[in-house]
Amino acid sequence: MSVQTQIALQNALNGLLIGGTYATVALGFSLVWGILNVVNLAHGALVMLGAYTTYWLFTLFGVDPFLSLPLTGAALFVFGYCVQRGIINQVMRAPFLITFLLTFGLELLITNIAQAAWTADFRSVTTVYSGRSLSVGPLTLPIVRGASLLIAFVVAILLHVLLTRTRLGTAIRATASDQEAARLMGIPIARVYAITFGIAAASAGVAGGLISLSFPVFPAMGAGYTLIGFVVCVLGGLGSVPGALLGGLLLGLLQTYAASWLGPNYDNIVAFSALILVLLVRPAGLLGRVQRFRG
Amino acid sequence: MTAGGGRVWAGAGRAVFAATAVFALIFPLLAGTYYVRLATGIYMFGLLASAWNLIGGYTGYPDFGGAAYLGIGAYTTGILMVRAHTPFGAALGAGCLLAAVVAVLMGSLLLRLRGHYFAIATLGFLLVLQQLAANLDITGGGSGMNLPVASTFTTFYYWMLGALVLAVAAGWALPRVRVGYALAAIRENQDAAQVLGITPLPFKIIAYAGNALLFGAAGGIYAYWFTFIDPPTVFNVDFTIQAVVMTLFGGPGTAAGPVVGAVILKSLDTVLTNRSVFFHNIFFGALVCVLVIFAPRGVAEIARTRGSLLRAVRAELGASRL
Repeated sequence: MSVQTQIALQNALNGLLIGGTYATVALGFSLVWGILNVVNLAHGALVMLGAYTTYWLFTLFGVDPFLSLPLTGAALFVFGYCVQRGIINQVMRAPFLITFLLTFGLELLITNIAQAAWTADFRSVTTVYSGRSLSVGPLTLPIVRGASLLIAFVVAILLHVLLTRTRLGTAIRATASDQEAARLMGIPIARVYAITFGIAAASAGVAGGLISLSFPVFPAMGAGYTLIGFVVCVLGGLGSVPGALLGGLLLGLLQTYAASWLGPNYDNIVAFSALILVLLVRPAGLLGRVQRFRG
Repeated sequence: MTAGGGRVWAGAGRAVFAATAVFALIFPLLAGTYYVRLATGIYMFGLLASAWNLIGGYTGYPDFGGAAYLGIGAYTTGILMVRAHTPFGAALGAGCLLAAVVAVLMGSLLLRLRGHYFAIATLGFLLVLQQLAANLDITGGGSGMNLPVASTFTTFYYWMLGALVLAVAAGWALPRVRVGYALAAIRENQDAAQVLGITPLPFKIIAYAGNALLFGAAGGIYAYWFTFIDPPTVFNVDFTIQAVVMTLFGGPGTAAGPVVGAVILKSLDTVLTNRSVFFHNIFFGALVCVLVIFAPRGVAEIARTRGSLLRAVRAELGASRL
């Protein structure tokens, strides 16, 4: 195998691995946007909280970061449920600029309170297996990243099953398609919204936990992930689990290849160009339903 | 209210306006350096809020990337002054012009999008320019750029005041001209506007370019005033968000609202920031949340239309909560 092929394959693998993380980040973002019609600018802040939860559980109590993922998810679920129930539900019928600004305000609050509490220092979760990797033929597979990709798939499948095969999932989808009709069927709308946001926060928390294994943890770490969530949703199509998964992997591949051609400092430019291109050419996303996006 | 009362009010308004104008002109002679700087900062945010109001308030397109044009204005001014030794006025003019031209180009793409898509796409554009400025050589990359130091601070006061007056005049004139009627129609119902024979895109581009030109002006003056710029300080979403919040606070879609919002919030913010920078961010975060929940149409607006502020807040809550 030539060196070029080997580099191209390694890039593909790296792209899929980072893409799995993007997909996990985007799942919750897509859920809140698709079901609640809220573009949650605080999503990255939830990812950050998940990363810190994992970090503290590991540093203070020595809990293995993979084992603590359910705990992190549960903690973020409770947080997300309360935020939606107490705050965002107050403006659910307001024009979108209002919910947009509100979630931006929440992002500012959460990030700055985190900074006041935990300082702006970069922290990392370093386990005994952190630096290890497997050799797969000519390729190198860091085991932490490989496991993260696996967990991304597990979370996506769980979420898909929850949305399509359970009573709760049916209630959530019914609320999304017609709020008033769902209310008449006896679905408690305010609670469904809160649970949906809680689930999204939980998956953001899991994403944050996985990210903390490979990247530094600090209060402002989440900002970039909100944009990534958005780009992934646009790429894959809104409100569908397979769409988020596909969009995430695609963005991961795109950024990894772009980084190997242009250098590492152009990731936002690449993501944005992809965003604009898809919005103008195929606004419903690659797997999305047709909606009204353009004017 | 009787017609006579209206005339009295209009007369009083004119007197207040004239007094404010005279006071603003002679302010640097009366106050110390600290207060002149403070006033310059308030004017800058009044300018940003008035600029955002053109696209966000009058047109109803919530732009979050205004700081992209602030950065373009700042870097153009900086590069021309440092590398070509252009006088400040000419460099500033070039910065404004370039910001407007870029806005026409980007606007013809971005303004086809609606709602969330427009908002995030503009935010993405801001991040792209920030990254571009950090990667290019001509901008000094990540280490930023130093501008020449001006002989007196009062200069910036008057430049900022001039730009602010221009922005307020634009906001005052807009609802009184044809373009303004078209924009109001687009804001209220774009599809209906199209049925009436209005082609939305050119009108939206005019508002967007006006917004960009004024953000560019603020950026150029800011760069010369602070003498140092780097990508995260000028391509900073904080500028846009503060402009949005001040406009919403004072009343979007009015000429005076954004300025009133800027004066009140920037003064409050200064008092808090003097205690700790931490308060600045917490204050804005909390303010945004409280404002959009309790008074999404602006404090001034609900107080004016419904009399009692408390009753208005209750009605507002009842209308938008689940």
